[in-house]
This record gives sequence, structure tokens and C-alpha cells, in this order.
Amino acid sequence: MPDGSYERPQQRQFNPYSENGGTILAIAGADFSVIAGDTRQSEGYSIQTRYAPKVFRLTERAVLAVNGFAADGNMFVKKVKQRLEWYRHAHAKDMPLRAIARLIQTMLYAQRFFPYYVYNILGGIEEDGTGAVYSFDPVGSYEREACRAAGAAQSLVQPFLDNQIYFKNQTPAPGASHPTHLPLPDVLSIVIDSFTSATERHIEVGDGLEIYVVLAKGRSTQELASIGGLQELSTRAEGDRMFVIRRDLKKD
Amino acid sequence: MSIMQYNGGSTIAMVGKDCVAIACDLRLGNQALGISSNFEKIFAMTERTYIGLPGLATDVTTLHEQLRYRLNMYTIKEERTMEPETFIHLVSSTLYEKRWGPYFIEPVLAGLQRMPGGSFRPFIASTDLIGCINFAKDFVVAGTASEKLFGVAEGLWEPDLAPEDLFETISQTLLNAVDRDAYSGWGAVVYVITEDKVIKRTLKGRMD
Amino acid sequence: MASADGGAYSYSLTVFSPSGKLVQIEHALAAVGQGTTSLGIKATNGIVIATEKKSPSILIDDSMIEKVAIICPNIGMVYSGMGPDFRVLVARARKAAQGYWKIYGEYPPTKVLTQELATIMQQATHSGGVRPYGVSLLIAGWDITRGPSLYQVDPSGSFWAWKASAIGKNMVNAKTFLEKRYNDDISLEDAIHTALLTLKEGFEGSMTEKTIEIGVVTVPSQADLESGKMEGTGRIKPTFRKLTEEEIRDYLAM
Repeated sequence: MPDGSYERPQQRQFNPYSENGGTILAIAGADFSVIAGDTRQSEGYSIQTRYAPKVFRLTERAVLAVNGFAADGNMFVKKVKQRLEWYRHAHAKDMPLRAIARLIQTMLYAQRFFPYYVYNILGGIEEDGTGAVYSFDPVGSYEREACRAAGAAQSLVQPFLDNQIYFKNQTPAPGASHPTHLPLPDVLSIVIDSFTSATERHIEVGDGLEIYVVLAKGRSTQELASIGGLQELSTRAEGDRMFVIRRDLKKD
Repeated sequence: MSIMQYNGGSTIAMVGKDCVAIACDLRLGNQALGISSNFEKIFAMTERTYIGLPGLATDVTTLHEQLRYRLNMYTIKEERTMEPETFIHLVSSTLYEKRWGPYFIEPVLAGLQRMPGGSFRPFIASTDLIGCINFAKDFVVAGTASEKLFGVAEGLWEPDLAPEDLFETISQTLLNAVDRDAYSGWGAVVYVITEDKVIKRTLKGRMD
Repeated sequence: MASADGGAYSYSLTVFSPSGKLVQIEHALAAVGQGTTSLGIKATNGIVIATEKKSPSILIDDSMIEKVAIICPNIGMVYSGMGPDFRVLVARARKAAQGYWKIYGEYPPTKVLTQELATIMQQATHSGGVRPYGVSLLIAGWDITRGPSLYQVDPSGSFWAWKASAIGKNMVNAKTFLEKRYNDDISLEDAIHTALLTLKEGFEGSMTEKTIEIGVVTVPSQADLESGKMEGTGRIKPTFRKLTEEEIRDYLAM
């Protein structure tokens, strides 16, 4: 109206969330854990950057992959890291993996009515030296699993993992049984195949691939020797060891 | 809820070495409620051309009858069997005829194309619900589990698979994809088409 | 009953005469018989169709006259009889061919296109308010199922497949000539020469590249068939083409 008032009620809306694409994936071995994610960050049909890490080193033996709304993801990782730092100051040691998992649940559920719009996958080595993967929903429901995919291409990757990791729909030869954990080289090639497949068919997946590998204390690093693009992240050679493998994915 | 998901169901076709395969699940549902575990979505059109019709169940039957009618008219009039490449064009034009009130079906086709020299060439194709043809060289998928089928197929498929390997690949792809889809599953049917025979196998699947 | 003026049954073409004839069709055939001669010969590796192209006056620009028509990349046809009727049929044939392409993504086999035209011509023999087409057609084409084939369609709508045939003014003589000259293993080159010789029989005036038209069907090689569609355009390689004036001149000189 001329006086600046409105004829009828007006509604304004602000959507605090967005979806930034990408996919993450983690697989646990007997004495290792592999956590991977692509590095494309997009909004709608636009690529914001070709290198935005979604996988983060938390401790010497824990890695967190975060997928969904990138701003929430980054803030969440920052806060988890802060809580782990406080833990170190209080207890003079790194927080164990299962404790980090519970911490993440608590932190997510604290935001039950204004959630972090993220799917988390935590990977690493447990105190007993076994490889572990924990997966979370945005409000903190979690579960320890052998493998998990999340994000834009979850629907493409997860059934492939069911088949290749859990041997779903495959019958073992009479008298034989399927292994509960796969060897590291097999896991690495399944991870790479999963991401090249997802890149091929999903527009939000691509550009780069970061694969974090956490090896239990005393485990041979022999199987990683021939891997290209490998970089060690561990500060001590005598404890659990952590590596990252960086690969290119198609950029189209 | 889209009409494309009303009854559920999925179909996939793959190319192998001198052979093709096509497979579908057996579920017929009414949204989340399962109705039948014996609803085949693949039909033999000629000796070497098979079509999968996933989508709205009422249109599966109607479109199948419509295609059968048009194919029979062609066969009688032209005194020859229709080749798969010609057939997919017929499917396309039949669907586009109903551009503004479409059949809610996304057909998938697999067949062996008779070449001028008398040999056979593997041929697969699919279309959207208004008949836009996709001539793929590797595999085509459709239905409620299409995303999952794409993911698994992209990981498992490789070129020049022999008939038995192709059967294993398409079966594993379909089974693992539909197990992650609430609207597909309840058993499966697989056809492997080679020059001298067509093998049909019915697979057991998860019944949940 | 078929008296000179046609008698009582000559105006309504949907009425049979007591002798069992539709007289209008006979008249249409008479119109064809007055048309310039056209002929077709099927060879082992192709087909030739040819026609006489006579202009009634030297003042007519004869580059405009077209009697051999391309219907689609694999089919062409020629006529004897009434030019305007032929033009209509050419338009219908081209439409039918494109309609077929729209449905099947390929051009029709010669037989199907012929049947289509024959149906159109037949319909004109029992529809109200129309007269039969005053033309006979020679349709030549190549397709994957039947190879090269040559058909003739008459105003009644009947059609036959021929090894060689002639229609129009000189058809009786031309056919006799063809019967003498034809053999089952004639090559396309020989067939073209035979076609020219046949036309020459009873040709009025001088036969030059300006006064005849020739169309040929060539059988594609195995390599052409295997390679399928042409690079770039994505179209199939045409199997029917018209000879240029230069090519006709060369054949006449040989």
C-alpha cells in the first residue's frame, strides 16, 4: 500500500540448509580401516570447487568422513576436533575410537531440533587392534559395520558393496564360507571401482578421490608399497599408522 | 509418489560377446503393499527380440498388446521378421504418439540383429516413457531400482562376456540392486539370448 | 457395352458394365497408352529405369521437366501417362516413405512402397467424385530383404514384379524387343545400353541427354552394408540415383 503497509499477510522464508553433493565410503578390514571420499563440492548444477576434502584425520587412529551440507560438516568436524583436543589435555592420550563414536552421537543428538545436515562415517582402529567403521544418521543414530556408503551416490555404491564386501546373493562353494574381512588390496580396488563407477553415472561425484588407510599397530605396510599417490600421515612409526592415497577422478 | 513408482519393478539388459541378456524382477505391488511375486515384465516379441516393460502395471499389459499388434501387422504386411533396431523405433514412435498422455513405461530391449552377411550382432536399447531412444553399447536399466542398477552394473559389467558369465553378471547386478529397493524384488527372471538358443532362468530372491 | 463413347456405364466409375468392366479404368489405360514410352530392366547388380522426355515445343525449358522421380534414398520411379497425376503420386509416395521412416527409423522396402501406391490408385477406382489416375508406374528400388526389385503399377491398382517391362505408347514393341534382348545374367552396364536401344526403337526425333531420363538402382557392396550409416551425416548410402546429363551423353556416345 502507499503508506508502506501490506494488503494481505506476507510470508518470508529462510532455508538454512543446502546439499553439497559428493559421496563418502568406508570399509573395515581385520586389522585396518579404509575411509574414502571424493573432493567435488557442488550446489545444484554448479561446481563450487573441485577440491574440498570431506575426510579428516581426527587422531592417530581415527578418521571421520562427513557428507551432506558442507558448512555444517566443516563446523561439526571442527567441534569434534576441539572435543578431542580437550580430551587429550584432560587425559594425556587420544580418545579411543568407540568413545569418539559415542561422542559423535551425543554431539549430533544435542542438535536434535536443529540438526547438523550431515551423514558421518567414522573409521579407524579400535583399542583391541581391529579395524572398525561406524556410520551415523544426522541426529546420531549409529551402528558399527563392516562397510558403509553415504551421500549423493549411496544408492549406486551401497548395493555394489553388499555384493562385494558382504557377498550378498553369492553362494559359497560347498564346505567353504565367505571371508568376514577382505585383504587390503581387494578393499582398495573395490573402493576405487566404487568411486569410478559413481563418477561415471552421478554428476555430483568426481574431480578427486582421497582414500585414508589406517593400519593397526605392527601391521605390515607391504601391501601399500606399490600404490601410487601414497602419503604417510603418522607422526610415529611404532604405533598405528595412517596413510592417504590421492587419486584423480573424471572432471566432467 | 510418482505414478512410475506405483506398482514398482525393474528391468536391465546387457551386451555380451555374441549374446545379450535381459532380466527383470517379479514383484507387483500397490505402493508399499506387495500383491504378486509372479509378475513378469519381459516379453518375447520375435525369436531374437525381447522387451522389458517396467512401470505402471496396467500399461505393461496394454503396451505389450499394442506392440504385439503392430509387430504382427508388420510381419504379415512385409513378410519378414522385425529386427531389434527397427523394433525399438516402433516402440519409440508408439510411445511418442501418446506424448501428452503417455504410457507410464520405460521399455528396455535386448536382441540379436541379423546382419547383411547373415551373422548376428548384439543389440540393446531403452527409451524413456515418451520414446526417446538410448542406444547403449554396454547396458541399459529402468524401473524403480534404476539408480541402484546403474551403480552395480557400472561396477560389475565388462566387455565381451561369454553367455554364462553374462548370465552371472546380469543376475548379480539385478539381485543386489533390487535388494536395496523396496519396490522391486520378490524373485527374478533372466533371459540369455544367443544365436542358436534362448535360455530363460527364474531366480529366487529375498522375499522381504 | 463399351461403345466408342463409353456408353451408359462410362461416367460413374463405381458402376460395373454388364460385361464386368469398369470402363473408366479402361479409359485411364488408354491415357497411359498415349503417354511417352518408359521402361525398366532388372540386372544382376542393379536396375535401370528410363523414359523418353519429349517437349511439345522448343520454347519449353526442358530442364524443368522431371519424369524420373526419387522417392527416398533407395527407391525411384518413372511413369507413362498424365504428368500431373504422376506429380500427385510422387508427392504421396514421398510422404508415405517419410511416414514409414518416422515409425521405423528406416525407409520402406520397394514392395511396401509399391503396395502403398497401388492402394492409393485402387482407391481412386471406387471412391466417389474422383477418376482413376491416368498413369502406369515403374518403381525400382533396393532393400535388404528382397534386394533390387522392379514393379509396375497400373491405373486399376494392380501391380506386378518384372524382370523387364515397358509402358506407354511403344510398350508392345518395346516389350517384344526386351524379351529378345533380356537374359538373367545381364549386368547393369549392359542393361543401361539395352534400355537405350529399346528406347531408340520407335523414338521420334533425335535421342539426346536432353530428351531422355535415366534412373539406376545400384546394389550396395558387402562393405557398404557392414559399415551401415555414412560417416558424418548418419544417413544410409543412397542406392537409387538419377544419371546426370553428362553420364547419359557418355552412354549415348558408347
